[in-house]
Amino acid sequence: MKAFRSMVLVSSDPDSMERGALDVFSKLQQQIKAYDLDEEISLSMISDVSKKGRDPLVLVYPDAVIYGSVTPADVPHIVEEHLYKGQVVEEKQISPYDLSGSVAWLSARKGTLPAENRIVLKNVGLIDPEIIDEYIINEGYQALGKVLNEMTPEETISIIKDSGLRGRGGAGFPTGLKWQFVKGAKGEKKYVICNADESEPGTFKDRLVLEGDPHAIIEAMTIAAYAVGANEGYIYIRGEYGLAISRMKKAILQARDYGLLGENIFDTSFSFDLHIHAGAGAYICGEETALIESIEGNRGEPRSRPPYPTTKGLWQKPTLVNNVETLANIPAIIRNGAEWYKSIGTPSSPGTKVYTILGNVNVTGLIEVPMGITLREVISIYAKGMKDGATFKLAQTGGSSGSIIPASLQDTPMDFDSFKNAGVSLGSGALLICNEDVCVVDLAKVLLNFFRFESCGKCNPCRIGNKRAYEILSNISEGVGTLKDLDDLLMLNDQLYELSNCGLGQTACSPLHDILTHFRAEVEAHIKLKICPTDVCPMSGRWAYQIDGYRCNGVSLL
Amino acid sequence: MINLKIDGKNIEVEEGTTVLEAAEAAGVYVPTLCHHPQLTPYGGCRLCMVDVEGARTLQPSCTLPASDGMVVNTNSEKVLNARKFVLTLLFSERNHFCMYCQVSGGDCELQNRAYDEDMTHWDLQPNWQPFEVDASHPFMVLDNNRCILCRRCVRACGELVGNFTLGFEERGADSLLVADYDVPLGESSCISCGTCVQICPTGAIIDRQSAYKGKEIDVEHHVGVCTECSVGCQRDVLTRDNHLVRIEGDWDAPLNHGLLCDQGRFLPLEEDRPRLLTPLVRKDGSLKAATWEKALEAIEAGLGKGKGLAALASTRLPIEDLALFKSLFADGLEAELVTSLEEGFPTASLAALADATSDPFEDSLDALKDTDAVLSLELDLVEDHQVAGFFIKRQLQDGTKLIVADSDENKLADKATLKLDFKSKFLDQLLDAVENGSDDDGINKAASILKEAEKPCIVYGEDFAAQADEKELQALLELKQALNATLIGVKGNANSMAASQLGLDSPFKSNGYQSAFVMLGDEKPTQKLVKALEEVPFVVAQAAYGSQLTGNADIVLPITMWAEQSGTYLNMDGRLQEAVKALDAPDGVLTSQEALLKIAERLGIEPETDWEASLKSRVPTIEIQKA
Repeated sequence: MKAFRSMVLVSSDPDSMERGALDVFSKLQQQIKAYDLDEEISLSMISDVSKKGRDPLVLVYPDAVIYGSVTPADVPHIVEEHLYKGQVVEEKQISPYDLSGSVAWLSARKGTLPAENRIVLKNVGLIDPEIIDEYIINEGYQALGKVLNEMTPEETISIIKDSGLRGRGGAGFPTGLKWQFVKGAKGEKKYVICNADESEPGTFKDRLVLEGDPHAIIEAMTIAAYAVGANEGYIYIRGEYGLAISRMKKAILQARDYGLLGENIFDTSFSFDLHIHAGAGAYICGEETALIESIEGNRGEPRSRPPYPTTKGLWQKPTLVNNVETLANIPAIIRNGAEWYKSIGTPSSPGTKVYTILGNVNVTGLIEVPMGITLREVISIYAKGMKDGATFKLAQTGGSSGSIIPASLQDTPMDFDSFKNAGVSLGSGALLICNEDVCVVDLAKVLLNFFRFESCGKCNPCRIGNKRAYEILSNISEGVGTLKDLDDLLMLNDQLYELSNCGLGQTACSPLHDILTHFRAEVEAHIKLKICPTDVCPMSGRWAYQIDGYRCNGVSLL
Repeated sequence: MINLKIDGKNIEVEEGTTVLEAAEAAGVYVPTLCHHPQLTPYGGCRLCMVDVEGARTLQPSCTLPASDGMVVNTNSEKVLNARKFVLTLLFSERNHFCMYCQVSGGDCELQNRAYDEDMTHWDLQPNWQPFEVDASHPFMVLDNNRCILCRRCVRACGELVGNFTLGFEERGADSLLVADYDVPLGESSCISCGTCVQICPTGAIIDRQSAYKGKEIDVEHHVGVCTECSVGCQRDVLTRDNHLVRIEGDWDAPLNHGLLCDQGRFLPLEEDRPRLLTPLVRKDGSLKAATWEKALEAIEAGLGKGKGLAALASTRLPIEDLALFKSLFADGLEAELVTSLEEGFPTASLAALADATSDPFEDSLDALKDTDAVLSLELDLVEDHQVAGFFIKRQLQDGTKLIVADSDENKLADKATLKLDFKSKFLDQLLDAVENGSDDDGINKAASILKEAEKPCIVYGEDFAAQADEKELQALLELKQALNATLIGVKGNANSMAASQLGLDSPFKSNGYQSAFVMLGDEKPTQKLVKALEEVPFVVAQAAYGSQLTGNADIVLPITMWAEQSGTYLNMDGRLQEAVKALDAPDGVLTSQEALLKIAERLGIEPETDWEASLKSRVPTIEIQKA
């Protein structure tokens, strides 16, 4: 396996490609060869790293330098000055703060930030995910080897239970316990499924692992299958994640090649193989039973539970469903032990959590920190404070159905139990940080629009209730709301929680409930005073209407 | 057994029972909309929610398995509020203004559930987009504006009929009931079985023939066996003021549990043949209206007896009529030929086999409902005997394998695992393949599928029976043994089996008969029969509707059609079932039994009326029992 002294990465997202990223790449290839550096410098293309207006980007590691708006004409100079002579070309360099999105560790984080601890993201950005040897060199597949050669399934489950690992998909169910349920379920045939649907708006933590470290998932699933007694597995990746799908496919082929997947893994009697199933654009398919329905070829509608997938899952067989992030913890726990894992985080929620920082802050992106960090720490240390010195107004944790945290709760430790006690939910770890320019009515409206659109339509409360709530909020944002509307919204929230078939319906209105608890005055201003204090809502005085895009034939006025 | 408490009552139920089923067993009423006893529970409408002690939220009782020690409350304030909430949402979702709907006023489950909760209006502003009404289908209209998205129709079209025409498109509030990939229902793969109309709780799927003609409170029910084919489905004939309003399936029927096909449900109401209302006697070359007296006189004069007399009867008529017919013509008049209009085509060879082995060898249709491999011989169950086809089709997606062996086009073939060409000696070859393997790939594959199956079933119809020689039939019996298979013989008309038992299965060759008596009933005569009878000088026809046959006859007696008579029918798997009279016949029209008795009286013959005894005259292909 080759070792390089430098890695040069060229962004290849659609915007970059439009602006000639491919030409930049070829020119770099040519120039690096011309300077005889192709044995020392690895060159590859990476997906979505960019910020509009600065594409295409060229990143150089380990120097952690980013060049923006690179053209083929710039390339000879960059190669000569930086790659050959070692001097950064400052005129083309851009600040990492201008970037948003994926590249989780960069730049100014030359060391690690206080308390950062990479378990899930250990290899992401450090290895070439398309070369299995790079994974293996970094302790890859050691955990699997240990499990298959030295441990029984019961011992494997025991370690995971002891570690206290809880599901990272949002529900926080103890992982070891779930494994035990599947192991104990009746039946010869069992399945293991990795839920990589990741459709929660603003969450892309799983994507980084799938794209940057796919073998971690393969290894974890194989360990899980051995523990519960399954020999077949599925990775359900959302269809939009094209790069994740192709990288995972490649990883599976390479693992099979090396005898790490398929028949008689590590020359033991244990066999396990994986399929990839691509999603087709439905948020609801992230719900585990809807996901199973989708794999079976049916409409992605959640099933009635009980029975749970642990007893009757895929094709009515016992099935283990785990989130990507949960699985990514498994190899490390096996290698380092349960005690090690418990030493990180809090007693009720050991380990680390990958948080996605979004919103009106200076630095957005992913961080992986021990459980128990507070929101204030996230904003001041990791996000480097509110952007342009704005004031913190509210944060939404845990995705679109997550709780709204007002300033007063900024110091609550972020772990499953502390949050639960404070009446807020942690969810999948997305942290949307809003400043005072954000209108709460508009925020609620946007969130409810999402749920209205993504509702599967099986149960009446969610299908109709979300639509009604959205209409009511639209009316409030147009300045024609009434105070009765607020009672209706709270009633809808209560009933949807009681009656809905799955988590989508049950929690769709909870941000709305939080907003009415903490920011009621602002909402009432829209109604009583007919103003939007942040000047965001249209307030046109007209009843809201919707254009049914499905039926509109686009006839225009002449 | 599981013990739970519902509304303070202690109830004991078996493991696997849902809370809803337990409540129903205990006499506790829980309202439902998307639930139906014939379908797997769906849990979509959320109307059946109940309060379970210790649960985080209300629980849907239709899907929740009862567990030991559960304490359930079905009428707490929370539950009652939830019900009103769900109904309110439903009313606000689409156009549920009831004024113009044909089920409003008692026949709409949505409306009834709202009245049950003492609702008089709903609180949420309705806001729906209007949907187009799909009126492309000959028997049904689909109005999405009234749909409550309960999916009963979709589930029935899949789980009960196995046709999977109806489905849902889009998602969430845009969800829409569509046929196939959103084509008009009249152009879709719909087979017009009408199960969806029957199962729809609101007026979203409308029966064209009966809309606005009679609500539940206006109509009378007559539950009896269908007379259209040898499956013998139970159906409910609804009438009002001596008119046919609608035919529905009977959900409680053990054989077909509510299913019917278009031939049993819709087509009988499309009758447009001219009705015969008075006896007709040929005078001076043309048929003239006459009294019954005059007609009987003419029959006595011209019918004759013994050699030269042929008597034929329709197998759509009840056994009582057929037995009487046989007694009168075979025993009383000693006619040269006494047979059925089918001439034994569907039954003769199989009956001969039963005679030879003295052992009934066929099995109940219930075997088709639970099989893992079906071999269909020369039988298109999409064309006729459709309900038997439904039993097969609906199991295909659970892994049941289907082998279709047909010498002709077969509409069931595109769903089949394997399609083979049926030639003579097919079963012989198959038996050989089962025992020794075969060079023919197709037959080999069929043999291995059937051998691997635990409950294989071989189903065949009249086309197979008519061409099967002794050796083929022997092979059939040996295959039954070798594969431990069930045999199901589909048999033509409603009483073809009874006709076979009575020995009415000889072929009709018009070789010099002087007179013929044709008991046509309400059957449509074939051209072949009409042509054959043209050679017979004196023809008496007993019929309900005018046709070329009656037009050529010398004497015509008007009799009842299927709805105006009751009687017993013997279906293909040996069940004796009753057809029930639903309408009064017009004045002057008699049942064929009454007409035969009048003729017998006139001719001084006392016919045997114990039809039950006459059924036992030979060994049947399957044991006969009263249903």
